[in-house]
This record gives sequence, structure tokens and C-alpha cells, in this order.
Amino acid sequence: MAHVHEVTIWARGVVQDKEGRDVSQIIALGADKENKFTQAFDDYEDLPDRVGVPVRKYTRISDEEIVMRYDYENENPETVIVMDESIVKGINILRHMKQKGVLIVNTKRPAADILKFIPNKDLLDKIVCVDAEEIAAGATTVDFSGSEGGVDATSLGAGISAPLVGAALKATDLVALDSILDIVVNKEALKRGYEEAVIESVN
Amino acid sequence: MFIVPKEREVPQGVVIPSPVKDNREMITSNWRSKRPYMKYLDKCNLCRNCYIFCPDGCWTVDEENEVVVWNADFCKGCLICVTECSAKALDAADELDFDGGVIRLEKSF
Repeated sequence: MAHVHEVTIWARGVVQDKEGRDVSQIIALGADKENKFTQAFDDYEDLPDRVGVPVRKYTRISDEEIVMRYDYENENPETVIVMDESIVKGINILRHMKQKGVLIVNTKRPAADILKFIPNKDLLDKIVCVDAEEIAAGATTVDFSGSEGGVDATSLGAGISAPLVGAALKATDLVALDSILDIVVNKEALKRGYEEAVIESVN
Repeated sequence: MFIVPKEREVPQGVVIPSPVKDNREMITSNWRSKRPYMKYLDKCNLCRNCYIFCPDGCWTVDEENEVVVWNADFCKGCLICVTECSAKALDAADELDFDGGVIRLEKSF
């Protein structure tokens, strides 16, 4: 079995639910355009979500067919995207991460302020800080269709998800920026997130 | 007005005292991205609005020291107490401005 790159996204329930799902779907659709095998789905355990509860969204990218059919959680995430900075304080976001992972945080604080809340930060290779709230002007789309992502694959990346995807692409080689340009609605925010993301290496 | 006949009156049921023990199985401190805190202690007139309005019962009154006490483990950061505070003694701040107060969990809850 080929290597499966696992991305875990942590978001706040209801208020960031759609935006968090957008991040996982944009990355998966972009990799799909590059003829890779992908999966993008929500964590079953976290649903139904309530306002503010930390929820997980997953993406898997592989060069060969993904045969982890009955694994409903990403066991060893290599890239972790945190959509609300306060989640790093209350959750072990680097759980089961192998060495040299990448952490992307939506924050206006410097990386040192975030790292002091992560006791197992030696697992990280680099941390990326991007102020997605400011870039997307605080826009968050909320999906009340009740489909939990089944039908809302339209208007991907209209809010804070766009700059976060941009920051994730800058620090990792998940997908090329050109592949996702026509998927994302707010292209300006995507490019600004790509440019303004601050990458700092840990260790 | 409908009056219940004396013989059909139902006696008052069980009076449940307020919960005296925390449910350690359901810690919700990591739901919080903003935290209410006592900004002006001298302004607080112990009106008990925070105690009354808190949906999770996180504010209690310490009668001896005449202060309100906040339970960090279960506050979800809804900030209703900040809105309802009659003396404007409470204020909200980012959770990351404080060092501790949040129990670090492996999963959401």
C-alpha cells in the first residue's frame, strides 16, 4: 500500500463547521485534479456538533487507491490545520503524529505564543501562522441544510477556509496552488493567505 | 379559574438541591474560545445575575468572602454572564491570554 498523506482539520462546531469541511474538500478536490486518490470526510464521533465544540475533518491523499476502508479517523496525521487558535490549548492536536509534521494555525499571534500551549511540540517540523480572520474579513459561511456536508459542495472557500488553504499549500506540497484556483470562491483571500502565512521551523 | 378539589390535590414532589458534585466525565472547558473574567472586582454588587443566567451553573457565590466564583472546567464561553452583568464588572478576553484554566483532552469531550 502506498503512503497515504493524512490531513486533520480542527474547527469549532456549527460556527466553523462548513468552513472546516471546505478546507478538507478543497484540498481533496485539488489533489483529485492532479490524478491522485483522495478522501474527504467529517469525523463521525464528533457529530452532531454543538456550538463551539471542537470537531474534526479529515483529508487523505495517496498516489494509489486508498484501502483504509474501515478507518474512520486519521490515525497518524502529518498535517494538522487548526481553524481557531484556542483549540491548541484544550486538545492534544498532535495526537499520534509521527515526527516532522506541519501545524497550520489561524491566529494573529506569533508562533511562540501558540507553541507554549503545545507540550509535545517536538513532533513538529514547522508551524505556520496566518491571520485568516483578518484576510477573509471574518466571513464564515454556516450550513443549516442538515446534510452534514452531503450537498454543500458549492461555494467552497468563501470565508476563512480560503486563506488557511493558502497557508497550508505554502508549507506543504499537498497540492499546487494552480490546481485549486478555480475551486475556491474567494481567490483573493487564497492568494493573500499563501503570501502572508508566516512559516517558522520548530527544533 | 379552575380550582383543584382538596381531595385531588397532588402533594409537592421531590425538591432537588442544586448539583453539588462536578461531572468529571464531561469536561467542556475546551469549547471556549473567549473567557469571562472579573475585570472590576470593586464594581461587583453581588446581584447574582451571572449565577442566575449561566446555563451551566458555572458561577457560584462565595457568601463568606462576598465574591462570585467561576468554574473554569465547565464554562463553554457563551458570555451570557458578560451581557447580563448589571454592574458591568465582568468582561470577556481571549482564552489564549491566560496560561491555564483549560483541561487538555485527547478528543473533543
